[in-house]
Amino acid sequence: MTRPGRDEVPDRLYTLTGGRSRADTQVFDLVTLVVGACDPAPGMQSEHSAILRICRAPTAVVELASDLDLPVGIVRILLSDLLAAGRITARHPRPDAAGAGGRLPDTDLLQQVLAGLRRL
Amino acid sequence: MTSDASRSPDPVPAPTPTPTPTHAITGADGGPTGIGPRTALAALCALLVTAPACLLSVYAAPQSARAGIAWGSGAAGLALCAAVGFAAWQLLAGRRLRVLLAAQHAEADALRDGTLRFAEETVPALVTRLRGGASADTALAGLSPAPSDPAQRRVLGTLAAELHRSETARATAMAACATAAGRAQALTTSMAADLREMEHQHDDADVLGDLLRLDHRTAQTGRLADSIAVLAGARSERRWAKPIVMESILRGAMGRINDYRRVRLHSTCTAAVDGDSAEGVMHALAELLDNAATFSPPTAEVHVYVEEVSSGVVIAVEDGGLLMDEAALGRAQKAVNSGAVAPDTRSAARLGLTVVGLLARRHDLTVSYRPSAHGGTGVLLRIPQALITHPHPDTDTDTPTRAAAVREPRHPRHVQRMRDVQGILDVRGVEDLQDAPEVPVVPRGADEPQAEHGGAVRDEESGLPLRRSVRKPAAAQRPPATPPAAQPREARSPEESGARFAGFRRAGRERVDGPDGADGPDWQGGTPSTPSGPPASARPRPEEGAE
Repeated sequence: MTRPGRDEVPDRLYTLTGGRSRADTQVFDLVTLVVGACDPAPGMQSEHSAILRICRAPTAVVELASDLDLPVGIVRILLSDLLAAGRITARHPRPDAAGAGGRLPDTDLLQQVLAGLRRL
Repeated sequence: MTSDASRSPDPVPAPTPTPTPTHAITGADGGPTGIGPRTALAALCALLVTAPACLLSVYAAPQSARAGIAWGSGAAGLALCAAVGFAAWQLLAGRRLRVLLAAQHAEADALRDGTLRFAEETVPALVTRLRGGASADTALAGLSPAPSDPAQRRVLGTLAAELHRSETARATAMAACATAAGRAQALTTSMAADLREMEHQHDDADVLGDLLRLDHRTAQTGRLADSIAVLAGARSERRWAKPIVMESILRGAMGRINDYRRVRLHSTCTAAVDGDSAEGVMHALAELLDNAATFSPPTAEVHVYVEEVSSGVVIAVEDGGLLMDEAALGRAQKAVNSGAVAPDTRSAARLGLTVVGLLARRHDLTVSYRPSAHGGTGVLLRIPQALITHPHPDTDTDTPTRAAAVREPRHPRHVQRMRDVQGILDVRGVEDLQDAPEVPVVPRGADEPQAEHGGAVRDEESGLPLRRSVRKPAAAQRPPATPPAAQPREARSPEESGARFAGFRRAGRERVDGPDGADGPDWQGGTPSTPSGPPASARPRPEEGAE
């Protein structure tokens, strides 16, 4: 499991989050799209400014985690900090469903589709 | 041998045996220098003078008085001769004594000089040679003014043997310490890498929290091992392949102390520290931070400021704790400056400062204490310019630039996860987002949160087919992913759509065929970028990716 050389930076993950392991908000899942609301400012935590830089274009949480090479849980915490500070906005990549109140298609409809497909 | 020396008042082997004063004084019987003959000569001279005088006086005296005068003058002459002889003897003995005394003085001076040289030159030279690792015989043979005194020789021999023995024991102990510390360092390093890996593996907040706590303990253990290695004189610290940016230096240092949450970093510095020295700088800074945090109230913050100056980079650690008085500041400064293991490194704080001193000497750092503007103690750590590099913003290891430059997922876990959600992500288009910029953030958050922790319940609430709710919780995170799969049909090529439907249909069949066929949301699994991939490869993915 040990991968020598992989751990290329000396900072440990708990120092990135101040020891927290749980985000303050549950807004973010893997595919939540994040859009930056401002530019990175000097003196900002480097991960924060990196997120803002990447999120000039809408980026999913999972992509952010990959780009930053950080665990998703840590990225969620960083994102929740930024969200609380109003520096980013987040939304789900399913605009019309979300626009319709965030509800998924009707269960009956899905089951009918499924049944129809099975008959193919 | 010392008893010999003390027994004899004249330990120096005199080239010519001289009589002791006692002999000289009582040596009226005639010594080699001839006090006796000279005395006799003087007495004889006196006799020669007095005898004619006596005879003359007897001859000149009237006949009747001659007998009395002869007796009287004879007695007087004899007395005179005795007196002259005695006086001569005294005179000669006195002269002889003065000479002897001078000789004794000279000898005593020579002896004192020899002893002084023995104490001030010979012994220190011997000790230096032995501390330098020479064996007892080599060290003794190399002494240029070898003492002629056998007593001194024996002292030196014993001293050399004892010192060599203790020096060997010390070196052995230090080497054992250094080896043990090196192993502990290697262990903690690999443990930290393991933990990092596990932190990537487990997204559950509770597990992640536990892992982070373990990580923190490991980092502290690592610092302890580093300290022991430094004190034991080992150079087994980790070397980083690349320069480490200042932010990482600061966070790496604060991650190694217990109260890292109280540390506040204020840095806009973009400089980096040379990879070979970065570990030493971090370690020294961690010791200083630990001191500051330990000796300030548990609620007080410790502030770290970074300033670039012409001679390097200055890191200031300011605490709002107890103000150290002049003497305490002086002691701390002394401990830091000494650069050697001081004899009074008993307390942990002193030990930390000693480590800082050793590291400072090794890496040419400057540490100075002063009263802090925050009311407590401040300490400045200056990193010399030689260790500082200024990474190019585009090509370096810095996280932000790295993140911007590298878009390829590097961690296998990320690759996996990206593949899992690919189906959802590629329905996202910039148009979509621009179409719905006003989409509120909250709705997703409102029904998403429990998906991570209470997946089964959420399944029912989100109105998905019930078969998903019997799945293990890991699969429950799929729901958010499912609807988009059906959504972007118009944006897809017919082949892709066909493949998706195939997957969808296969999923349905498998569910009918057997319960094990339904262990993964295969209708979702068909959506990844490898649409025609076998179910076996598609099935496990969601479970792995959905924790």
